[in-house]
Amino acid sequence: MSTYIVLPAYNEGKVIKKTIQSIKKEGFNNIIVVDDGCKDNTSKEALSTGVIVVKHPINRGKGAATQTGIDAAKLLNADIIVTMDSDGQHNPKDIKAMIEPIQKKETDVVIGSRFVGESNDIPKSRVLMNKVGNLVTYIFFGAMSSDSQSGFRAYSNKAANSVYSYMDRYEFESEMLGHIKAAKLKVKEVPIKVIYTEHSLNKYKGDTVPAQNFLNGIKMVIRLIEQTLFK
Amino acid sequence: MVIQILATIFIVLLILPNLYNSYKKNNLTPLGAAIWAVFWLAGLVVIWFPHLMGIIGNALGVERSIDGLVYTSIILLLYLALRQRIRISQIEKEITMLSRKIALKDIEKKKDEK
Repeated sequence: MSTYIVLPAYNEGKVIKKTIQSIKKEGFNNIIVVDDGCKDNTSKEALSTGVIVVKHPINRGKGAATQTGIDAAKLLNADIIVTMDSDGQHNPKDIKAMIEPIQKKETDVVIGSRFVGESNDIPKSRVLMNKVGNLVTYIFFGAMSSDSQSGFRAYSNKAANSVYSYMDRYEFESEMLGHIKAAKLKVKEVPIKVIYTEHSLNKYKGDTVPAQNFLNGIKMVIRLIEQTLFK
Repeated sequence: MVIQILATIFIVLLILPNLYNSYKKNNLTPLGAAIWAVFWLAGLVVIWFPHLMGIIGNALGVERSIDGLVYTSIILLLYLALRQRIRISQIEKEITMLSRKIALKDIEKKKDEK
C-alpha cells in the first residue's frame, strides 16, 4: 500500500528540511510539500531533499494547502494519505500507528489525538482552543472528537475520495470531520505525541497569516457560522 | 397602495429570485436561503398588513413612522452587506480553486503523459 505524507507549509524554510528528514528516517519517502505561497526558501529547502513540491501562487491558508496536498496524493494514486504539520510538532514515529488501522482495513480515517493515551505537555491556550474547537465542531457538524483541531490525520483512498473541503484556514479540520461523519466513514483516534517548540508557537507573530491563537480561534468560530449560511 | 405594490415587486421580482439564484449557484446553503426567504416573506406580510407592524411596534416600543424608516434602511443595508459577503465568499473559493489548479498542473501533466 503506497502511503503519501502531505506537509502544508508556509514560511517553514528553517525547519522543513529537518521535518522531511525525520519522516524519511521512519521509512516514508513519498512526501508532498505544499508551498502555500511562501515568502522564504521553503520550496528550495524541500526540493533539495528530493520530495514532491506543489506550490500555491499566493497564500490560501493551511486548510486549502492540506486539501491541495490530498488532491496531489490522489493524483499519484496514494492508498493512504497522511497529513502532518510541517513545523516538526508532530512526531513521525507516530505515522506507523496512524496508518496501521487503515492497512488492516479496520477504519477509513485515523485522527491523531493529543488528548487520548499518555498526556502531552500542551500549552493551556491550545488546550482551551481545542475544547472550544471540539464544541464548535459538534454544534456545527455534529461530529465528536477529542482533538478536532489535530492536523495529524490519515485517510484511506476511499475516505480521501469521499470528502472535500472548501475551508481555507484552520476551520478545515472541523469541516472535514463533518464531511467524514456525513459520508459515514469509520473513524479511529490514535494517541500522538506533540513537540511544541518556540518556532511552532511563535512562527506567525507579526505576519499577515493568522496564527493558531485564541483570538483566531474566535475568528474561526465566526467563519464557521458564516459557512453554515454561505458555501 | 402604490408603495405596497412597489415593495412587493421589489421583493418578488428582485430579491427572491436573487436568493434563489444564489442558492442554485451554491453560494447559499439551504438553511441560509430558507432564513432569508422567510425574512423577506415576513416583510411582504408586514407591507400588506401594516397593522401587524403597529402591534409589533407597540410591543417593541416604536411609536414614530420615521423610526420604521430608519429600521427599514438598516435592513436594506444589511441585505447589501449580505450580497457583498456572498460575492466575497464566492471569489475566495474561486481564488483557492485557481491556486490549486496551478499547483497541481505539473502532476496532472505527468499523469496524462503516462
